Amino acid sequence: MTAANQGRPLPAAPRFSLRPALLVPVLAVAFAAGVGLLLIAMIGVSVPKAIAAFVEGAFGSPFALAASLNRSSVFALVGFGFVLANRANLTNVGGEGQIAVGGIAATAVALYGHVSGLPLGLAFILPTLAAVIAGALWGGFAAVLKVKSGTNEVISTLLLSFIGIWLLYWSVQSPLLLRKPMTSSATLPESLEIPEATQLPLLTGDYSFPVHIGLPLTLVLAIVVGVILSRTILGFRLRVVGLNPVAANRAGISYAKTVIFALSTAGAFGGLAGALMLLGEQYTLKDGFSSGYGFDGLVAGLLSRGSIPGVIAASLLFGFMRSGGINMEMVAAVPTALVAVIQGLIVITLAGAALFIEKWEGQ
Amino acid sequence: MTWELFAVFLGSSIRLATPLLLAGIGEMVSERAGVLNMSIEGMMLMSAFAAAVGAWATGDPLVGLLIGIISVVPVSLLQAFLSNTLRANQIVSGIGINILVLGATTLAYREIFGARSRAEIPGLAKVKPPLLGDIPGIGNAVFQQVWLLYAGIALIAITALVLRYTSLGLAIHAAGAEPKAVDKSGLSVTRIRYGCVLFAGFMASLAGAFLSIGDIHTFTEGMTRGAGYLAIASVIFGKWRIGGTTLACLLFGAATALQFQLPALGISVPNALLIMLPYLLALLAVGGLVGRQMAPATLGEPYRR
Repeated sequence: MTAANQGRPLPAAPRFSLRPALLVPVLAVAFAAGVGLLLIAMIGVSVPKAIAAFVEGAFGSPFALAASLNRSSVFALVGFGFVLANRANLTNVGGEGQIAVGGIAATAVALYGHVSGLPLGLAFILPTLAAVIAGALWGGFAAVLKVKSGTNEVISTLLLSFIGIWLLYWSVQSPLLLRKPMTSSATLPESLEIPEATQLPLLTGDYSFPVHIGLPLTLVLAIVVGVILSRTILGFRLRVVGLNPVAANRAGISYAKTVIFALSTAGAFGGLAGALMLLGEQYTLKDGFSSGYGFDGLVAGLLSRGSIPGVIAASLLFGFMRSGGINMEMVAAVPTALVAVIQGLIVITLAGAALFIEKWEGQ
Repeated sequence: MTWELFAVFLGSSIRLATPLLLAGIGEMVSERAGVLNMSIEGMMLMSAFAAAVGAWATGDPLVGLLIGIISVVPVSLLQAFLSNTLRANQIVSGIGINILVLGATTLAYREIFGARSRAEIPGLAKVKPPLLGDIPGIGNAVFQQVWLLYAGIALIAITALVLRYTSLGLAIHAAGAEPKAVDKSGLSVTRIRYGCVLFAGFMASLAGAFLSIGDIHTFTEGMTRGAGYLAIASVIFGKWRIGGTTLACLLFGAATALQFQLPALGISVPNALLIMLPYLLALLAVGGLVGRQMAPATLGEPYRR
């Protein structure tokens, strides 16, 4: 994939304007949504009823709206990390595992790090930092393998995801790790609930609209990543390494350092996403914690074609789709798997259309 | 470990390695020709589902197997079309296919069986080859296996011969190493690569059917649980060779078999650690033991005339 780029001039950084790069995703989403509606009709559910349930679950109440926005933040963070690493032609598909290890680290510090008495918000900042570091290590490990032995990061981040998911399963199954004290045989395999001081503050302080500070944090990070990618030497280095590692090395840009920076930053974003999920919403660590959010974030990153506003748009779309999908299952008996069908179709359509977008844009 | 327990361990290692092996060899052929199919996972899941439904609906596991094989053809054609004709990013398109298949099979499963069904599904017959199967002590434990396993071994042997001794094998290898030269010699790189992706899909369909109607006679949502990715890792581990890939799959199979074997020996190791073991081994394998120069030269790159 690198070789295909060699010999071509550096393309301009993607910008946000009405072009095929914007039009095609919109068409892809419309096509996939159309298929989704068709499937709803095929399984014999009334389409208006399903749509009503979807809308109700996605933004029908302040609570639903807040849940959707919190989800979107998680997807967006993973997506930012993906875009950043992808600028260096690296594909981080390990979001799921990075979320899992982030969740483990956040839980461990929140429950057993003696942080709940600390002032100045340190009670929730320290668990969050622990999650960020855990995620960065998880992503950085794949980077080290890539630099040391040329291991394809797609395979290594994927395998690390499975390892992270089972690590989480282990840590909530074993009383020696994070499982809550066994009082009876009916004690669920999950952690204790984290203390209130370690939970992320809500923006309004009101549980009927539980948007937590993860949302503004995500927006700030969106700007930071956007600026890094388009306005700094760091962003330039990522791009040069992505386009031609050999030329980058000749120009004095370290391939190894850039790869390690890119993948551990992507991992750190995944870890942060895990912290938001645990400290902001779930409060207890359970099996299946990562809920496929790492893959949703990955898809958001893929859809964006490298643009940060694109990641935000896709994350909002998926955040609302997930919430709507869950309500559709509860109210209208449409399995949430429908959302995966729609997402898969979007990814495939866009992957297939990439050639046309490039040709079109090249003119 | 007693002799009997070891025989059981060996038998279940081979059984658990089989789906990886079938899918892994198919993927190896495709990667030799230059196409990386991340969609092996989705292809396996598709076939596991279709074979289970087919066997359940008709009562005949053979029909199920056939339906499983056929069900993967559109999936492989889609992958081949995306990665050859549309020259799409092979990783992205593969992951997209996996998400789609996971969603579609889960949706269809809920529609057909309901949310928590444990419908009994007729499975493929087990056979015991003469001579080997009669070895006292280990004959039953090791060689009493689903016939698809033996058919798969035969297929793999044929694949090895074709790759090594025929012009087709040479063309496949060249399509991945020097596609331009293949093109100049008058053969179509696109056709070779389409064929190899279809072959990978066929092998993955056998692997998927083995999971659902060969091994455990039921289908569960997302039951492949990353087996397709392990198959891809085994190709890398095996340095794109039949023998190496086979050994890698057996190793992963043995690591999986430990889950059931160690408790029987009274050794208590956290279950999660054992489930994790094949992935951990795969990571170590692709991370430490393999040099980068082994991969087919144009792996993952669409060919452009």
